[in-house]
Amino acid sequence: MHMRVIRTAFQVTVLGAAFMILLAVNAGAMIDGISGTTFNLAAKTGHVSTPDGGSYLLWGYANGAGMGMAQYPGPTLIVNQGATVQVKLTNSLTVAGGGAPPNVSIVFPGQRVTVLPSDPGVPGVLTNEAAPGKTVTYQFKADNPGTYTYYSGTDSALQVEMGLFGAIIVRPSTGANYAYNHQDTQFDRENLFLLSEMDPRIHQVVENFGPAGVAGTDYLANYFPVLWFINGRAAPDTMSEPMAPWLPYQPYNCMPMMHPGEKLLMRVIGGGRDLHPFHHHGNHARVIARDGRLLESAPNSGPDLSYEVFTIQSHPGSTIDAIFEWTGKGLGWDIYGTTAAGPEFAHDCMDMDGDDFDDMTHEYCPDHNKPFPVVLPPTQELTLGGFYSGSPYLGLVSSLPPGEGGLNPNGGYVFMWHSHTEKEMVNFDIFPGGMMTMLIIEAPGVMIH
Amino acid sequence: MNNGLRNALIALSLGGVLVTSQSALAGILVQCPGDVDGDAQWATPGEIQPLNTKCMHLGAGDGFITMADGLSQYIFSFSDLTGLVTKPANPGDGDDVMMEGMLGASFPAPPIVLEEGDEFYLTLTNVGMSVRPDLFDPHTVHYHGFPQAAPIFDGVPDASISINMGSSLTYYYKVNEPGTFMYHCHVEATEHMQMGMLGNLYVRPAQDGTTYNYGGRSYTRFAYNDGDGSTGYDVDYPIQIGSFDSAFHIASETVQPLPFAMMKDNYPMLNGRGYPDTVNPDPLPAPTQNGGKVSQKESSLITAAPGQRVLLRISNLNVTQFNTLGTMGVPMTVVGIDAKLLRGPGGKNLFYQTNSVTLGGGQALDAIIDIPANAASGTKYFLYSTNLNHLSNDTEQFGGMMTEIRVN
Repeated sequence: MHMRVIRTAFQVTVLGAAFMILLAVNAGAMIDGISGTTFNLAAKTGHVSTPDGGSYLLWGYANGAGMGMAQYPGPTLIVNQGATVQVKLTNSLTVAGGGAPPNVSIVFPGQRVTVLPSDPGVPGVLTNEAAPGKTVTYQFKADNPGTYTYYSGTDSALQVEMGLFGAIIVRPSTGANYAYNHQDTQFDRENLFLLSEMDPRIHQVVENFGPAGVAGTDYLANYFPVLWFINGRAAPDTMSEPMAPWLPYQPYNCMPMMHPGEKLLMRVIGGGRDLHPFHHHGNHARVIARDGRLLESAPNSGPDLSYEVFTIQSHPGSTIDAIFEWTGKGLGWDIYGTTAAGPEFAHDCMDMDGDDFDDMTHEYCPDHNKPFPVVLPPTQELTLGGFYSGSPYLGLVSSLPPGEGGLNPNGGYVFMWHSHTEKEMVNFDIFPGGMMTMLIIEAPGVMIH
Repeated sequence: MNNGLRNALIALSLGGVLVTSQSALAGILVQCPGDVDGDAQWATPGEIQPLNTKCMHLGAGDGFITMADGLSQYIFSFSDLTGLVTKPANPGDGDDVMMEGMLGASFPAPPIVLEEGDEFYLTLTNVGMSVRPDLFDPHTVHYHGFPQAAPIFDGVPDASISINMGSSLTYYYKVNEPGTFMYHCHVEATEHMQMGMLGNLYVRPAQDGTTYNYGGRSYTRFAYNDGDGSTGYDVDYPIQIGSFDSAFHIASETVQPLPFAMMKDNYPMLNGRGYPDTVNPDPLPAPTQNGGKVSQKESSLITAAPGQRVLLRISNLNVTQFNTLGTMGVPMTVVGIDAKLLRGPGGKNLFYQTNSVTLGGGQALDAIIDIPANAASGTKYFLYSTNLNHLSNDTEQFGGMMTEIRVN
């Protein structure tokens, strides 16, 4: 028995049009974070939870010196191009063993940073720092749009490992649904992929003996991570809702969702110390910028030096912006089924503008009504994935044996996005987990929240 | 356990699977248009190959290979079952696919070579893992990098379906774009890929067969549809970067907990071989543990004539680390990355010359080497990992991720 829950919705043009308007309004407001020009961050302790049951000491940037909780990663700072941004940092760290907490700081790669004369902190090696219980205020003008990172410039090998890092997004003056000031950087949706890893030995020794305990080990030199994260969560927590109450120190998720034909901006940041090959199943993505600079040969030429990849090479401390699209073009079969398979599969492919795609649904019309090319084995001979809808067709949910499926209620197309250093897809010795999430391409009539 | 007893147990367990599959279910089923006898070919009289159609029959299971230092290594991988008759005219005349596939895994997995425009039907039969009859693992094929994928044929078990022991799943893909891809099993990916379910996959462009003059020479074979011959070449070689952690393989063979977190590779390879096996042009001798099946057919030796252009189709399916490959003596021109011609959206040429390329797992790259016209016959150039610690076969020094480019 088939349930046609999706396709009928966009047969009704009016509904579809209303839906597209909604989309336009929502665009650009996808990444969780804090906006403005003045930010109050505080370095505090907390605990990072991992899906294998682990809990590790965190030093994280909190939003606010008062009630704000340490975050892994720190708050994503979302600012507008041209704004003068002030970031005040309070050092609220506490450490085990009764010793003095270390100084902390923030560096902002790609920004020209000065320290506010009225709150200069104390001089450090890379930048000025906040002494225990004290503050420092940094200031920069967000001259260039793009994706950036920030992290501790104090004893970075230890402090970034402990969790003192985060993302910055500078929205271009052209508009919030552009990555840069050029029409070829427009997007419908965006997701942050802040990649990091963790060596728990370091966190355990700091929790028990304070930062001085690390000095007696080779853990920083012979770094050996066994946990991997996207936006501070290890899979499957990456796919849980943002601000989940059971992850109080890890508020951000990573759950990319889109419709066929939409443009999804991937903001990929190397937040830790390792390189990661981030493989996005489904289609190529076009790399349009590195470290907050458009890949253009001349000002205003657009991303004419951009290139397409199926795996994004993420470097420590660097950022990549890439645009991903998926339509199913050229698959050779109709992703919505054919009338020969049953009357419930009836649908139109209306291409008035001559681009080969349905003007509403982005179905690839040359493949319209082409039959599914093979016979699938009977269910008993298959192992069924939790995201399997029971059907090869987009937006169709078919019956499955009891206990199977269930993670994909709208029959979306699901693609794994993950580190292709496959070792990083585990939580300690438990597979699957780690640096992994799923992209869900929902049928055109399905609302995406 | 002695081999006799083990084989008897294997036959018993697989026999049980076969009986089940034949009595109630579809079992082994090769789907290939125009193919009547189920061998994924059109060799039998009366069979007609439809235009632009290719078929292949792969088995997924286990086997053994021999490392360059002589260590015998237990692997999971694919075997080429194309040519075995699965739908005989007279029942009982067909080939025993399960017995042929059992312990037949080769490393790297059989290469898949396609042409732009092909409709590709790949039947995957799960032949079971005879050394680990306690495992009931399903398997898949993931075409890594194929654009505009559909989940049902993408091979990610969580997102769709995977095939159980004794049964077949046929994957379909319409090949619209040329380039260097790769393929692997995606079931329990960290384990199955460390165990060896990895292979070369590339697509020749529609421009092949037309003639372009470039740099004073004419070419009829190209890496991509470049429109100007700038990716023209004389000979091409797939080179797949990989590496194994022998402790993981031993743990798997001896039914021990698998060391995911502690995984650290100690056998770096090109096309499944460490130097000096990489320069052996022939299949390596069959190991004894798999019953004498030749399991390492792919060489990594590159040969070319003076003045020729060599296309290296480099992919990385290592699961633990990044790798840098360097050339000694001849620079590379990178013309493609991740199965795309290296040009901007407006056509701007982004080719670059380099002596080294760095790839993480799941990345691919096309590089062209110009053999000097005055190179003497017998000249050797080297393609090797400049992560110099990868030039080893476990404790054996001066091996690992290196091969030769020989001028003939």
